Amino acid sequence: MAQRAVWLISHEPGTPLCGTVRFSRRYPTVEKRARVFNGASYVPIPEDGPFLKALLFELRLLDDDKDFVESRDSCSRINKTSIYGLLIGGEELWPVVAFLKNDIIYACVPLVEQTLSPRPPLISVSGVSQGFEFLFGIQDFLYSGQKNDSELNTKLSQLPDLLLQACPFGTLLDANLKNSLDNTNFASVTQPQKQPAWKTGTYKGKPQVSISITEKVKSMQYDKQGIADTWQVVGTVTCKCDLEGIMPNVTISLNLPTNGSPLQDILVHPCVTSLDSAILTSSSIDAMDDSAFSGPYKFPLTPPLESFNLCYYTSQVPVPPILGFYQLKEEEVQLRITINLKLHESVKNNFEFCEAHIPFYNRGPITHLEYKTSFGQLEVFREKSLLIWIIGQKFPKSMEISLSGTVTFGAKSHEKQPFDPICIGETAYLKGHPGHYTATWTTECAMSSEKLHFRILDYTLTGCYADQHSVQVFASGKPKISAYRKLISSDYYIWNSKAPAPVTYGSLLL
Amino acid sequence: MEYPAQLWPDVSAAEVAATSLLDTLVLLPPRPSALRRPLLLAATTALAAGGSLGPTSGASCRLLPLLLGLAAGSDLGRGFVPASEQRPLQATACECLRELESCKPGLLGGSLGLLRGLLGQEGPVQPLSLLLALALRNTLVLQSRVGAGLGGLLTDKVPPTGGGPWDWTLVEEGDGRLQPQAPSWPAAEEGEGERSLTAREHSPEEARELRAAVIQLLDTSYLLTPVAQAQLLWLLGWALRGLQGQPPALFKPQLVRLLGTAQLTLLHAVLALKAAFGEALFTAQDEALLLRRLTLAAQHPALPPPTHLFYLHCLLSFPENWPLGPEGEEAAPLLLGPQLCRGLLPSLLHDPMALLARLHLLCLLCAEDEEEEKGQLPSPRHYLEELLAGLRQRAALDEGPRALATVCFQASYLVTRCLAGQPTVLTPLIHGLAQLYRVRPMLASHFVDFLDQVDSELREPLKVVLRQEVVSRPGRDEALCWHLKMLAKVADGDAQSATLNFLQAAAAHCTNWDLQQGLLRVCRALLRAGVRGGLVDLLQVLARQLEDPDGRDHARLYYILLAHLAGPKLGVALGPSLAPPALASSLVAENQGFVAALMVQEAPALVRLSVGSHGVKGPLPVLKLQPEALEPIYSLELRFRVEGQLYAPLEAVHVPCLCPGRPARPLLLPLQPRCPAPARLDVHALYTTSTGLTCHAHLPPLFVNFADLFLPFPKPPGGAGLGFFEELWDSCLPEGAESRVWCPLGPQGLEGLVSHHLEPFVVVAQPPTSYYVAIHLPPNSKLLLRLEAALADGVPVALRTDDWAVLPLAGDYLRGLAAAL
Repeated sequence: MAQRAVWLISHEPGTPLCGTVRFSRRYPTVEKRARVFNGASYVPIPEDGPFLKALLFELRLLDDDKDFVESRDSCSRINKTSIYGLLIGGEELWPVVAFLKNDIIYACVPLVEQTLSPRPPLISVSGVSQGFEFLFGIQDFLYSGQKNDSELNTKLSQLPDLLLQACPFGTLLDANLKNSLDNTNFASVTQPQKQPAWKTGTYKGKPQVSISITEKVKSMQYDKQGIADTWQVVGTVTCKCDLEGIMPNVTISLNLPTNGSPLQDILVHPCVTSLDSAILTSSSIDAMDDSAFSGPYKFPLTPPLESFNLCYYTSQVPVPPILGFYQLKEEEVQLRITINLKLHESVKNNFEFCEAHIPFYNRGPITHLEYKTSFGQLEVFREKSLLIWIIGQKFPKSMEISLSGTVTFGAKSHEKQPFDPICIGETAYLKGHPGHYTATWTTECAMSSEKLHFRILDYTLTGCYADQHSVQVFASGKPKISAYRKLISSDYYIWNSKAPAPVTYGSLLL
Repeated sequence: MEYPAQLWPDVSAAEVAATSLLDTLVLLPPRPSALRRPLLLAATTALAAGGSLGPTSGASCRLLPLLLGLAAGSDLGRGFVPASEQRPLQATACECLRELESCKPGLLGGSLGLLRGLLGQEGPVQPLSLLLALALRNTLVLQSRVGAGLGGLLTDKVPPTGGGPWDWTLVEEGDGRLQPQAPSWPAAEEGEGERSLTAREHSPEEARELRAAVIQLLDTSYLLTPVAQAQLLWLLGWALRGLQGQPPALFKPQLVRLLGTAQLTLLHAVLALKAAFGEALFTAQDEALLLRRLTLAAQHPALPPPTHLFYLHCLLSFPENWPLGPEGEEAAPLLLGPQLCRGLLPSLLHDPMALLARLHLLCLLCAEDEEEEKGQLPSPRHYLEELLAGLRQRAALDEGPRALATVCFQASYLVTRCLAGQPTVLTPLIHGLAQLYRVRPMLASHFVDFLDQVDSELREPLKVVLRQEVVSRPGRDEALCWHLKMLAKVADGDAQSATLNFLQAAAAHCTNWDLQQGLLRVCRALLRAGVRGGLVDLLQVLARQLEDPDGRDHARLYYILLAHLAGPKLGVALGPSLAPPALASSLVAENQGFVAALMVQEAPALVRLSVGSHGVKGPLPVLKLQPEALEPIYSLELRFRVEGQLYAPLEAVHVPCLCPGRPARPLLLPLQPRCPAPARLDVHALYTTSTGLTCHAHLPPLFVNFADLFLPFPKPPGGAGLGFFEELWDSCLPEGAESRVWCPLGPQGLEGLVSHHLEPFVVVAQPPTSYYVAIHLPPNSKLLLRLEAALADGVPVALRTDDWAVLPLAGDYLRGLAAAL
């Protein structure tokens, strides 16, 4: 269950080493146990330098990708988890839990309480999940509210003290490092009895509960025979309960209107004390039928002090909010594009913003553009080979808008123009989401097509809501309840219907 | 503190460090200080990591009571701990004790009752719970090993023994062996047999107390942080496994709560419980629910990708109640049908790791799907094909990063591993790969690697299509170096003319050293494969035409090899070098290969020689040798050297072939003595092994005995008789020598002795009492024996010889006869 060492490494492509160790911590008592448990197969924790080099090589983050290197590129070296074996000085250090997020590589080595040859299955090593949780905890701490590099540096400098609280001997006590931050100011008060370990103090003040529901809608639209368009809603319910008492009991319920779409795949926060079996079993894996549980979804819980994600859910709404149609044809030297977008009548026609991104990959810069649009404005980013159609706050009365035109490209210059492994030839998309890609795990192959990007406040696609009656507090004083809702698009792709497009297995199930 | 080996190189240094840390702690003023906690942690680390923790260590004897006192929240006097700091220090002390218990299992065996009492009162829940659970687990394991029960350990607030709460005896019973807090599953299975032998049933009272303690721990477990809850479950689950009177149903109330969460550690801990208790805790329905939650978590959009991958791994290693497949192999659980997997199938939009993990699942589905009837839409196999085609398309992109190609080949490899023997999958794969090569030959390195890794089932047909792909096009574009690299891998005896044509066309374009070497490598591969005809011409042309002198030399060398060596020998000469190359240069490696194959190797003797029976008549003594081979050897040449030049130089003996188990004809080695004396022959063997190597071996020496030189006298025209003998007898003197020797006789008497040893040389015989023997010793000596008037135990022998140097040899010979029988 313990960790032998933990590292934070910033990935700096283009520099000689391609990275720097920003933080590392070794646990000597755990290391001593590792030496005994692993016996002849024991491999000591390396110094930072060799570790950095080996890890970057294994994660393919070194710049020298040019040549075939068998120890990295051989077809039989298949890694299917974020857990690696690193070759350092002729010995293999395993298991190394590592992942890259926001240009920081998080890594740790869990203790395996037995010999390493033969390797035990990962599932049976308790330290692996503890290691992941440890790294996620550090990641949450570094990136919650962090806006710039100096803030990151401040937080990194706080880490040694925090880990002395949260993980003094290599066995993690609390993945929520902010709790430890509060804990270090121990001079506060003598804490009462039976205080939960995840709640470091008590709230004093006016009772209030805030619930905010954020739904993201993803979609893949093909407009093709034999391939079904897909879309999915992913909801996150975030709560902050400012209530007096050590362990106030609260029940929060989420409701659906009569025509709402049932919530599925519900994952709850560990502070939820019990769960209805209907909530536990409602899942997107099963075929939908009318008997699906449609709420109210009740979550009895003892809230922590800070804001927390009460639950995540998915839902299958009957229609996508915006139905798109995108055609792209190559005509000699130019591309002819036609786009139609239609807002579904049931969707609230009041956007915070709405735009469509039309990128052109694997081509030169845009040299010439002729277009006609029924609504909104078009922005052209010539060097990036990108068009952005700004639709604005409202669709027109007809709920339908269109754009058509021809685009001509210059010669393709190397490296500058965006490369995409999927959008080859006429394969292209339109998307309703800004072109930045979160989560660059390993070598992310950026997608391309039209992508839609929009946000609607005070609205959810499923209809899911919380109101004054949604919160029951078994404590003195009636809290003030505030509830928020919003819908945003995420990975909302509309593929060129005139060319092949990547499909998921689900799209083939008609 | 992170480098204890440097800080405290030995035990005493650690002891000193811990002592001074404790001294500092006592000196702190009685007001809140941020130093107390780090000092406690540091002292604990020094003792545990420095190795000085033990009953004889002074610092241990100070630290342990201090920690336990702090943990118990008792008053340590003199305002040692300010009230405001008491609670945080109580938690810290628990953590320190937990670490010490981890490093010395059993240490806190005597404090179980105390800890339990504290947990029931106002103590901080999480540190105490974890400490109690760990101490309880270690005590259970150690006690069961020695066959003892828990006794009153769980209820006694005051430790039973007088030595304080420290149970060093229990620590010693564990031989200082560490206890895995959460043993890996297979290891735990193995340990089970051992444990069930020694496990002792707890008395009903002990069992009740134990159950009460576990319930107490579980009931308050929701107060722990999720990671700590998971630790508690791992500890308790494996502690209670197999214990009588401890139903795993104790864990049930926690499960529903745990299954609902998204926490990786909690779901992992549930899986550990599943592995520990199987059907006793999870019915088939529970198992199905757990699988569904796991499936859901493995694809839930709200969870980060590393979590998805770990859950996918858990799915494929799922601890089933009734596993069907072999243990330790990844497989889709039985209850995970195609319906459940639907959302877990790969698409081109996934990142490489997710793609490969999901592809594995898809392959497993396809493997199961084999028998099912067609017509099911969309069939997983069809989807797999589309996916692989998509991957190849990406790999074929001109500017694509190498990672795209790597993923494509990894996926192809995974498919061939999982779906070997399914032509419906492999055939399109082969053609797809050939097409990929056509579009992007610069992936040749990947192809070569792929061919090295896959089974021959796929390798051979793939080689054929790739060769066609290369040779069917004119070899003059910029991809020539890749084509040559590819061809060096796939060229063999088939389609010779096409290959040679390609090479001939390519030769004109091989203008730099790299290309020429590539070309020569293909020639070498062809040489190995036994291609001769057109290759001779090509090599001749290359030896003349290549610009680079090194290239010309190589071509000439290959040409000479081809012209002079027989097929099998050539194969060996060009095969992989036997000796590891001293330099990474290909030339050196290649030369070493030649050296190994073309030079004579020193080797242990694979052939044995023994001297056969005597009895050949002729003008010269002949040694009869019986060869015997340990392995098949060919073209054996045996060379002999006489030590001391007693005989004329011996001719070598040749044997075409020797096989073990097949009797070989005896070899006749004629000797030409220069003087009649025994000699030692030095023997060397030179032979070819079945692998074509020529070996040289030194054999053990052979001995030529005195008797091996005996020859009968040629019969005189008047017939041999007494007169002939007397004539010889008289001729010996006066130059020669005369002697009388006593020759002992064995039980068979004189007759037996003569017939056995001297039969061919007898001139006059009057059995059983008198024999006259005349022996010719080449080059020109004689030895005459009169054996007369034998007694029961011996016979007096009168002997004459014309060469007095023979006399001692004859004496030794006669005296040795009886023993030799």
